Amino acid sequence: MAKGVVLVVDDEASIRDILSFYLKRAGYQVLTAGNGQEALEEMARSRPDLIISDLRMPEMSGDELCKRVKSDPATRDVYFIILSALDGTASRIGGLSLGADDMIPKPFHAQEVLAKVESTFRLIAMQKEIKRQNKELTAFQERVREEMELAAALQMGLLPKLPGEAPSVRYTHCYLPASGIGGDIYAVLPLPDGCTAMMIADVSGHGVTAALISAMVKTSFENQVRQGGEPLAWAQGMNEDLCRSTLAEQFATAWLGHLDPVTNHLRYVVAGHCAPLRIAGGAKGGLQRSEVLRGKGFMLGLDPQLPFMEHDAEFLPGDRLVLYTDGLVEVEREDRTMLEEAGLRRICAELPAGAEEAADAVIAQTRAFNQPATFGDDVTLVILDRKN
Amino acid sequence: MLNIQTRQEGTSSVVSIQGKVNFEVTAQLRDVIRETVATAQPKLLAINLEGVSFIDSSGLGLLVAARNSVDKSGGKLHLCCLPAPVKKTFDQTNLTNYFSIFATEQDALRGA
Repeated sequence: MAKGVVLVVDDEASIRDILSFYLKRAGYQVLTAGNGQEALEEMARSRPDLIISDLRMPEMSGDELCKRVKSDPATRDVYFIILSALDGTASRIGGLSLGADDMIPKPFHAQEVLAKVESTFRLIAMQKEIKRQNKELTAFQERVREEMELAAALQMGLLPKLPGEAPSVRYTHCYLPASGIGGDIYAVLPLPDGCTAMMIADVSGHGVTAALISAMVKTSFENQVRQGGEPLAWAQGMNEDLCRSTLAEQFATAWLGHLDPVTNHLRYVVAGHCAPLRIAGGAKGGLQRSEVLRGKGFMLGLDPQLPFMEHDAEFLPGDRLVLYTDGLVEVEREDRTMLEEAGLRRICAELPAGAEEAADAVIAQTRAFNQPATFGDDVTLVILDRKN
Repeated sequence: MLNIQTRQEGTSSVVSIQGKVNFEVTAQLRDVIRETVATAQPKLLAINLEGVSFIDSSGLGLLVAARNSVDKSGGKLHLCCLPAPVKKTFDQTNLTNYFSIFATEQDALRGA
């Protein structure tokens, strides 16, 4: 099999013959043409890998041929070497600026041309290999992208449907994963006795692994709640679940809450998570004062023996709860400051009525504060209003 | 990129970190800690956090994993010189009670 196909274009038959002789002897298939026009006709029939062309020829010159070959997407990748009697740097640059890949000055030694052809074919082989690999990579990337999109859609399905409604609360969320899918999750579960169970969690890291664990966290929470009990028992159970099933560096911060609408008590466990804000009378909107529902505790998944602590707060009809993950308040601005809890409280000092409107306002004002920096971590914000 | 320096003090290794410890740099820090533990096999690994301006949950996860792995090999991990914002993060996650934390590097090395 020929090592490759070379099209030799020259109006001098003797040059065509010499080059053909050497190239054929070296194992190439050689096509010939007497000018640019003939070369294009030849190319319509066959596909050379390389064109070696004289510049000055009747009917169609070498520079015109080069321009046509290089401007046609179908032939653009064919290597083009100009053979030219115009020696010197100026004409060399002129030839290369036409789009030619290389130049050989005339008069030439056939061996020189051959050496150049050999090196060009090595380049062509490399390029073909790179193109093949690139094609494979592109196909692989495309598959991964499709799967990520599917995973992202599935993960969205794990979040509560909006507008969120439980017997005593109304809620909404803004969920902004950093990379298509993320490690944030939350859930609001109505309980048979009229109480409501709530959970928000942030799994360390981003991407697929974090997303898988976040699904596990949700399932674990649902299992714990189904078994009855209180946030303290839920946290312990979830911690054991996570310790059992995650690897060394995978943890989740979480906040777990239990609202009793009869006693107006919210019992909660903070497992290394950002403390939520409570806004007394916040559901009606306007100027208000937020309080931080303090508490501290270990992240979930560190060690099955670690203790947790339960806290208690009042949560009255008309009150509002702002749950979030750290990605919301930990964007570093150009001046190296971050919104942090204090900044979020400033934003929450005046919010509209209606959970959706309030959530939109928080996100918009946070974005305005961070600018030009953007969210880099997964961001989840949940606004939960106690019904009147 | 984090600026990480390691040095040996007798049977102890000291790893000093400067910069923001977040998801982007955990791989770098993990490699350094792993290599230090594997090559020096220190009885005590002290991590100096004086130059750390911020640590996120992946950074915390890495430190916890480091503690657990040093524990398993019979060694100890001590943290020292936590700047205020880092201290706050440790408090919030209760990790202040999970790690042995010292005010100065000397204290951490002495294991007081």
